[in-house]
Amino acid sequence: MALLRELELPPVSVPSGAPFLEAARALLAAETSAIAVLGDDDHVVGVFNDDDLLRGLFPRYLEELHHTAFLVEDGELLLANIEATAGEPVDRFMREPVTVEIDSSVAHVVERFLHTPWGAVAVVEDARFVGMVDQLAFVRHLLNRLDIPTP
Amino acid sequence: MDVVAAIVFAGALILIAVEWVHRTKVALVGASLMVVVGIIDQEQAVESVDWATLGLLTGMMIVVGLTERTGVFTYLALRVAQLSGGRPARLVFLLAIVTGVLSAFLDNLTAILLVVPITLLLADLLRVSPIPLVVVEIIASNIGGTATMIGDPPNIMIGTHVTELTFLDFIVNLAPVATVTLLLATALVYLLYRPQLRIPAERAREVERLDPARDMRDRPYLKRSIAVLLGTIAAFFLHSALHVEPAVVALTGAAVMLLVAADDVEDALERVDWSTIFFFLGLFVMVGGLEAQGIVREVSDFLGDVTGGSRTAEAMVILWGAAAGSALVDNIPFTAAMIPVVDELAAGQEFDDTNWWALALGACFGGNATIIAAAANVAASGIMARSGRPLSFLQFLAVGAPVTLLSLVLASVYLLLFQL
Repeated sequence: MALLRELELPPVSVPSGAPFLEAARALLAAETSAIAVLGDDDHVVGVFNDDDLLRGLFPRYLEELHHTAFLVEDGELLLANIEATAGEPVDRFMREPVTVEIDSSVAHVVERFLHTPWGAVAVVEDARFVGMVDQLAFVRHLLNRLDIPTP
Repeated sequence: MDVVAAIVFAGALILIAVEWVHRTKVALVGASLMVVVGIIDQEQAVESVDWATLGLLTGMMIVVGLTERTGVFTYLALRVAQLSGGRPARLVFLLAIVTGVLSAFLDNLTAILLVVPITLLLADLLRVSPIPLVVVEIIASNIGGTATMIGDPPNIMIGTHVTELTFLDFIVNLAPVATVTLLLATALVYLLYRPQLRIPAERAREVERLDPARDMRDRPYLKRSIAVLLGTIAAFFLHSALHVEPAVVALTGAAVMLLVAADDVEDALERVDWSTIFFFLGLFVMVGGLEAQGIVREVSDFLGDVTGGSRTAEAMVILWGAAAGSALVDNIPFTAAMIPVVDELAAGQEFDDTNWWALALGACFGGNATIIAAAANVAASGIMARSGRPLSFLQFLAVGAPVTLLSLVLASVYLLLFQL
């Protein structure tokens, strides 16, 4: 069952080398938790997701800390980081892409979702980017196909 | 075959130093080569692994890793920052002291992983460059780690290999010189960085507003974890009287910690840095290959000829040689290679601990010379790079080299006055 062809796959992406702020805006406008970063010929070279957005907006050392409740007020601590990263290329923040072919089976798509910590993977056809598939949108469509009502 | 063994080991050292390939891969491939090529046979390879070192490392990683969850180390670092009142000299010395003490009783790599991220945040709050503070912490971690058997990997290897040396022996013989060196080295670092450490008064007040205890409130297992950690450290002091090896103390501490302060054993065991454990394993087999081919004996004969059998010359060559070797390579593989050499030098003689202290001081203090000289330095520079505040090789060398020189002069005076 090639379910992906039935789905509307938002073609949310930015070109490789785009500034971080452009990628951040594209992600915030998209209805998925990740967008594709495209190289030449619409090849997916990376994925920029909501964790990458946080890493770019806020100081990276927060990731190394496990206890931060002691910070009663943030003050201006975080603002400087946003200014510093706005113009940096998205490639510095993106991660290795997770892709599925548009004719993939449901089981394969589910397996990819289960092994992808963020809930969206890039769909490709003949190695070219088609769009992003969101985990919840995929499940909702699958349940509807099985006549199981969803909200 | 001895030439092949030397080439494999030297090649591994170079690859570890330049970091082209992960050090664990290098050590394991080097060890496999030693066995496959026939430099060392399988039985000898298994015997050459110092299982006590691996046990001590694994045990302490579990004990410290589970205690870290409670937030107690973050609390300590923040309280120290608040005690400084935003005065730069006080802040630098207090951070150095807390890092040194944590390094001595946890281990210097863990101490760095705990304090550097907090320091980056504090530096942002205080609007100062984090580099002076992180550099002083790296230096303090290597010097503080020198003070005990469990503070720095070279000492762990020496302590578990030389069964005559107890936990208390390390403290009695190394802690005084480490303390003096820590204070003087911190003063030197402060003087070098003084212009960069001006803290505006209003920023100092930001640190006052922090609530260090907030992270520890309602943490499960807080009291139990701290009790097991303190109990384990106390048991180290008593291990000789109790007739148990330090590795047994650490592993027993880990077992008790798992029993009373860990719900999820799988999660608890993830606190073990398995890549480091396998790195040591490969390293021990490679050094076993050098021993099997008689290279260790040749090096020790050479050292004996150079020093003419003089205890003073031997200790000085080991001290300065270990520091130079650690600075260029990494103090862990260098110490692993030097332990059998020092053993061989003492063959057939009455036990004398001087050369072991010289090796410990040289390898640990040498760890401050370059950013690649010790695992703690590499970890700190990794955190800095990931946080967008890279600490370059030359930036660190400009401070690390004079500090190492000062430390080695102090260590030489100490050995000459109190050990020789």
